[in-house]
Formats: sequence, structure tokens, C-alpha cells
Amino acid sequence: MGEALLEAARQLLLDPRILWIIFLAAVYGIFIGSIPGLTATMAVALIVPLTYYLSPLEALAAVVTLEACAIFAGDIPAALIRMPGTPSSAAYADDLYLLSQRHGPGYPMGVSVVFSVAGGLVGAVALAFLAQPLARVAVKFTYPEYFWFYLVGLGCAVVVSRGSPLRGALALLLGLLFSTVGMSAVHSQPRFTFDREELLQGINFIPAMIGLFGFSEVLRNLAAFGAPKGEPVAAGSGKAEPAGFWRRWVAGPWMSVYGNTLPLLWLRKGKAALASGIGAVIGVLPGAGADIAAWVSYGVSKKLSKKPDEYGKGSLEGVIDSGAANNAALGGAWVPTMVFGIPGDSITAIVIGILMMKGVRPGPRIFEEQAPLVYGLYLVFVIANLLLIPLGFLAIKAGSRLVRVPRRILLPIIMLSCIIGSFAINGSTFDVWVMLGFGLLGFVLERFQVPLGPVVLGIVLGGPLEEAYIQTLTASRGSFGAFFERGGSIVLAGGAILLWLSPLFRFIRRRPASPAGGGGA
Amino acid sequence: MDTGLQRILRWFQRVTKQRRCFVTCLMLAGCSGTGEYPSKPILIVCPWAQNGGTDRVARRMAALLEEDLGVNVNVLNATGGEGVSGHSQGANAKPDGYTLTLMTVEINMLRWRGRTKLSHRDFTPALLVNRDPAAIFVREDAPWMTLKELEDAVRRAPETLRASGTAMGGIWHLALAGWLVSAGLKPSDITWVASQGSTPALRDLLAKGSDLVSCSLPEAKTLMLAKEIRCLGVMAPERQALFPDVPTFAEQGSSWTMGAWRGVGLPRGVPQRVLDVLVPALARAARSEPFLEYMKTEGFGPACELPADFERSLEATDDRMRGLLTSDAFASLSKNRFSPMLFPSILGGLLAAVVGALLATRGLRLEPGGGTATPLGWVRFGEGLLFIAAYALFSGVAGFILTAGPLLFLALWRLGTRPRFAAPIAAGAALLAYVVFGRLLRVPLPRGWIEW
Repeated sequence: MGEALLEAARQLLLDPRILWIIFLAAVYGIFIGSIPGLTATMAVALIVPLTYYLSPLEALAAVVTLEACAIFAGDIPAALIRMPGTPSSAAYADDLYLLSQRHGPGYPMGVSVVFSVAGGLVGAVALAFLAQPLARVAVKFTYPEYFWFYLVGLGCAVVVSRGSPLRGALALLLGLLFSTVGMSAVHSQPRFTFDREELLQGINFIPAMIGLFGFSEVLRNLAAFGAPKGEPVAAGSGKAEPAGFWRRWVAGPWMSVYGNTLPLLWLRKGKAALASGIGAVIGVLPGAGADIAAWVSYGVSKKLSKKPDEYGKGSLEGVIDSGAANNAALGGAWVPTMVFGIPGDSITAIVIGILMMKGVRPGPRIFEEQAPLVYGLYLVFVIANLLLIPLGFLAIKAGSRLVRVPRRILLPIIMLSCIIGSFAINGSTFDVWVMLGFGLLGFVLERFQVPLGPVVLGIVLGGPLEEAYIQTLTASRGSFGAFFERGGSIVLAGGAILLWLSPLFRFIRRRPASPAGGGGA
Repeated sequence: MDTGLQRILRWFQRVTKQRRCFVTCLMLAGCSGTGEYPSKPILIVCPWAQNGGTDRVARRMAALLEEDLGVNVNVLNATGGEGVSGHSQGANAKPDGYTLTLMTVEINMLRWRGRTKLSHRDFTPALLVNRDPAAIFVREDAPWMTLKELEDAVRRAPETLRASGTAMGGIWHLALAGWLVSAGLKPSDITWVASQGSTPALRDLLAKGSDLVSCSLPEAKTLMLAKEIRCLGVMAPERQALFPDVPTFAEQGSSWTMGAWRGVGLPRGVPQRVLDVLVPALARAARSEPFLEYMKTEGFGPACELPADFERSLEATDDRMRGLLTSDAFASLSKNRFSPMLFPSILGGLLAAVVGALLATRGLRLEPGGGTATPLGWVRFGEGLLFIAAYALFSGVAGFILTAGPLLFLALWRLGTRPRFAAPIAAGAALLAYVVFGRLLRVPLPRGWIEW
């Protein structure tokens, strides 16, 4: 083992070429991730042709760096303009945005970087030390277990929603209903398509997300156009200190971003580790990725928090925990990929293709046959995450300059980026219409204080949930007992049912104490 | 190690060279359709998602074509509707040779299942590059060692085994059901659990959720080599060169064959001069060492059928699919016993309950401080909607730059930027977006009159 590790380190650290590749991939990942609508998966697919010219380790290094940076970078537009760059940032987009409004984007974003890195490292540790046992457990999941697991993920989104859980449930159900449009995978029958071929592809969650978060925000700004309104707080709020070059341009900005994050890291080490652990385990499950990890971890974080009221209104704890979890999920997703060749998420599915092309066969024996490559992968995870600290800093600074562009110029440019992102997914104008429709829907829902995140999660998980439901019933020939047959499904079912009933318990418990508070909180 | 770096550098050079070419093109404004083919980026439409086998073949093909033809070749994943979206996008594209489709066997099936009016006749076949027969896989610990044993098990206790591999009525389902019928059994004697492709099906097989999987050999290759699953037989007349140890159905006394194919097609009406350039280039790529090597490592069955043969085999497959899919035995194949409206109805019921509860508790109220909208704001709001609608309507005709530029200008101007500032900002932003996304990152952008 020691030898293989040394060999991997030698290949990685002594070769300037691979370090360049890592650096370029990081910049590319941050750029793609910070544009709403261009996802980490798409970024990886776009560099596939380049990997033909790379060695296996170089290709893996590029992919790992790219995904780690893209998932973090999804937080940047969330903080600056309340548009999550990737769906996995949707859980805490509101918190991050409100925090940035209050303190300037520097500090909250610095916290997000540091805990993304921490989460990413936990994911790497899980991959390095727990791959075999974790993968063994993950492949025991059958359809009923997935069904309950998806219900847990959806339940978290409802329970955490700001204000009444009923409004969260409304948002979630809308999302789930939208997911049933188009051809269903389990029935192979078109639904709600009104005989139009474009509707067969269904409602893609990317244009829907851009519309709900991005375009609806543009519409809100447009509707308030001309109304007296305070400009957003400038980054670092311009404390003009007379100072030397070093302090003014380097140490000062650096401290304004990362200054208080280290003590915070120490204070929250336990909970952040828990959140990252949750993220890594969810990442290991094939078919569940960073998106669900962020939501579940946000839910757990709120349940454990001493200040649950802050969630959704600018909670640093929520940002920390789900930001760490979504990065930890990335490392987890590599576990089943390497151990069984079963992808943990859509990115690792592409990775398997790249590996096969290089003649590297994922499977239990990869750990012996390709030991240097496997250790190289672990090291790349560490390097990529550490690289986030300086690059994230630059991205935050560049981003906060960008939002200081006057709104009258910024808004049209944001609209253009919304369009480019929606079109790019399938190359169809239909998705641009979807984006427009969801922009309007988001605007209306916001007016009625209905949270938007659960709508996106509903669209993402609606298909898999229905599949698992129908698949379980088909396999058992219609017997509902199949949902409670195995140990794993009973445990998950218990968790899901408790979670879904918890708002009800709270409601009943509170009823006699404060009869007047019926419609509130 | 330097050769790889040099290749990357060459790739960058090519990208920049094309940008120069694109500037001259912009000055000529309307150079499309004339001149040598190819002079612009080529698009390959892949009807399946970014991680599947079809996508991998498309991207490998694209890279080789790019080296051969000297223009960018991009891949667009137009997914959904079990392949309907991608195929119809490819068939309805402009027949100028700049939009190719990596067609799959579903084009022979969808029509007979009533999913679309589209057929292989809407395409000009160019080259068939891959054939993969279906095969049946079971867990390593399964009791059946041969096809015959499996058949007997089904005969003894019909409707107890569960199989998976793709959607209801998809190619691998058809393959399994067809074998059952050819053996004198009913298609429903093995319960089909629909899944999104073979990956979740194999996962469920490992987790003991189902008993067998029907899919192609390359899809199951890793698990087979890891000795987690084994193959009972491949539905082909002869053993596969890349899997010499896997027995065929024919060896085990069944004449049933079924498989998938992938091939490049163009919209109908492509000029012959384009085909004269493209088909040989495609054939060179399909016969090239790197492509064959790639197909070998992936386990895909390589093939190279020129247009005439491709067309013939398309017709033959289509006839066979019509016979199979319109027969009585298969009529119920794509019907699930649970209505497709079951899940939406549950959701609808819940939604009604939630809305009712919200109305009863008066939980749905307007945001208290949300009334910041001004009359002027509502005008701008409407214009914002028009911006997107105009883009959606015109970009497919006029292309990216000619739509985005003027629209940006209008939006900037309406929001209060003076025209002499708005014009350069709009032009600059549209061009920059085109160069960065369309050229460098190769993100799909709408194409129109002047191709972007």
C-alpha cells in the first residue's frame, strides 16, 4: 500500500503537466458551475473528447477537480443574485442570499468555501477507507428501499420549508405533478402531452430551476422597476482604511473572506462532520446524488439546531451543513463506481465510460490491479478541494464585482444567461418556453410565500419515486406488503413516516397551548 | 507524454483558427450553403443521455470526424420520449449535412408502438457503426446454468420470475418476450419490471430485487468480469468476437435472434455532394484503429455498413418489428398492469387536500411587503416576458447572434441605457457569449440563417 501511495504521489506531484490540468479543470469548473443552467454533469460531458489525449490518472484528475469546483461554484450566483448555479445549491439558496445581503457576500461565501472543502475531504476519506463496506450495503438497496429513501428526501424539503409545512407540501406536490408530464419510463405511455411531440420529453428540471429561481427573480426586479430601492450591500462594504499595498489588496480582502472561518470550523466540527457523513453516505447510493444530500442534511441540521427559526431566513448553520453535504456526496458517488462499476451519480456514469476507454476496468479488483491509480484518485480529491480555497476566493471577488454593475445592464445579461442555460440542456426551444412558464410560476408562488426549492426537488425526484413505486408493485404483483418486506425497507419506511407526520405532531401539540397561532408559523 | 500535450495544443489551435474563419464568415454574412463542405461546425444529435453507450459512441465518432474533416464536431444530447425527441430533432433539421443523428434501433420500433409518425424513411442513412445482440444475464448464484434450464423453470412456474433491463416494450423487453414466444411460452410468463435503462436493472439484479436482466453484452461487461453475474446466452447466430466464452441461443437450440444497432443518419434531402464527402469520412473513422480499439475496450460490436446495405437492413428490421409489435402476442407488451394515471391521481388527490387545508387555515396569503410593484414596473415585467418569448420564436430561424444581439439592445435600452452605450454592450455580449459557449465550451446554441 505504502509503495502504491508513493507512486501515486510521485505521478501527481512531480509532474507539472498534471498539475496544470488540475488547475485548468478547476477554473473551468468554477466558471461552468457559476452559470445557472450549466451543470457539473454537462461540464464533464463536454471535456470527454479531451480525455482521449490524457492518461487515466490525468483524466480522473480533471473530472474530480471539475466536479468539486462546479458544485461549490453553484453557491456563487445563489449568494449574489439568488439563483442557484446547480440544483444542489437550491436547498440553501435563500439563506446564502439573505446572509450576503446582510453582511456582504465575502464572509458567507468564505464560510461556504471552507465547509465545501471540509465536506469534500470527508467524502474523500469515505472513499479511501470505507469504499468496500459502503458499496456492499449500497447495492443491497432494491426498489422498495429506494421508494422510502426518496420519500425521506422529499419529506426533508417539506419539513424545513420556511413558514407553514403545508405551503412546502403544496410546492412539492406541484413539482411532483410536473414530473409526470411526458413519457413515463415505467409505463412507456405519454401523459399530459396533449398529442404534442415536444411534450414527450417532459419537463426538464434544469430549465424549470432556471425559471423558478433565476427568471422569477428577474421578473421581481422588473416589476419593482422605478420603485425606490436600496442597492445591494457592496462587498466588504468599502471600509476605506489607509493601509499599505499588502493590507489593502491582499491580506485585507483575504481576511474579509476567510478571517473568521477557522474558529467557526472548530466550533461546528461535530455537526459539520455529521452533515458531511450524511452527504457521503447518500452519495454512495446509486441514483441519489448531491441534490438530495443537500436537502436531507439541511433538514437534519434544522432539526438539531438551537435556532431553527433562522432556517430559510439567512441561517449560516444551514449553509454550512448542506454546503458540506453536497460536496461530500461527490466522493461518496465514486464508491459504487470503483467497487462495482455501478455509477453513483450522473457524473460517475460518464467516468465509467472514460475509464473503460482507457482500458481501466472498475470492479473489486481495481484496488489491487490499479493501486497507484486508486491512490492517485484519493490524492486528487484532496488537492482539488484544497485548490478551492484560493480559487474560490478569486471567484468570490470577481463575482462581487460583477453584481455591482448597474441593474439596468445586469438584468438583460442575466436573462440571456437564463436562455442559454435552458436551451443548452436539450438543444430545444421548448425548454426556453418551460423556463418562461416556470419564471411566471415562481413569481406567483413567491407572492404567496410558497417556497420554490421543493418544486425543483419534486421535479427531480418525481420520476424516480414513481418508478420505484410502480416497480415495487409490479415485482410483487400488486401486493403492498412488498414495501415492508425487508429489514432495510422497514427502517427507512419508519423514518419516512415519522418525518412526514412530524409537522402534524407539532401542530397537535401546539394547538391547545396557543389556539390563536393557528395560521401562523 | 509530450504528444498528448501537443494534441491538446493542436486542438486549441484548431479552435482559434476556426474563430478566425468565423469572423470572415461573419463579414460575408450568408456564406452558408455555398462553398466547400464542410466549412462550419457539425452537430451530432444523440437521442440518449450523456452517460449511455450511444453517447459514448457519438462522442468517439465526433472526435475522429473532427480530425478527419477539420471542423468542430459537437454532440447534442436531445433526450426524452424514449428516443422520439432526438430522432425527430435530427430528422427535422436542415438537410445541409451539418446535422447528423446517431440513430438507434428505437426508430424501427416507436412507429409500430404508436409513439410517433417518424420512421427510418425520414432519414438518409449514412453509415451503420455498431450492432449489439441482446443477451440474458443472471446472478452468479442463480440455479440455472443454461437457457434450457431457465426455460423449464419458467414453464414449471410461470409468472414467478422477474426480469428487467429497459422500459416496458423497449428493445430488451422485446428481445426477452420474443424468445419466450419462440419457445412456446407467453410474453407475460416472466414479469417485466420496467427500468430506466440497464444500469438500474443490473443494480436491482445484484440486490436480488429481480432474477434476470435482458440487455446487451457491453452494458453488463464490468459486472460479468467481476464475476457478479453470468450470461446464459446471446441472441445471435454466432458467438461474439469480443466475448468468445458466451454461448449463443443457436447453440442451445433456439433460433431466436434480436439486437440493437446504431448508425449515422441525416435528414432526407441532403445533397449528394455532401454525402460524397461525409460517407467516406464516416467509413474511415469507423474502420480506423482508434475507433476499433475503442469499441473493443467498451465491448461494442463494431460494424461498418455503407448506405446501400444500411438502408436494406433498416427495411428488414422495420418489417420484422412491424410483424412482431403488431401481433396479438405483443399487443399487451407495453401495457403495465398499473395505470399510468395511478401516480398522478394520488398526487392530484393530495394536492387537493393540501390546497383545501391551506384555504381552511387561510395559510395562503400574499406576501406582506410584496407590493413594491409600480405601474411602470408591470410594463417592464411584460417586456421581460416578451424578451424570452421573442427569443424562443426567432432564435430557431435567425440563429443565436442575430436574435440575442438585437434583443439585448432592446432590453438595455428599455431599462434606461442610452442607445449609444447599449449597442456596443449588446453586440459585445452576444459575440462573447457565442465565442465562449458556442466555440470554446461547445455548449449548444440555436442555429439559423448564418448558422449561429
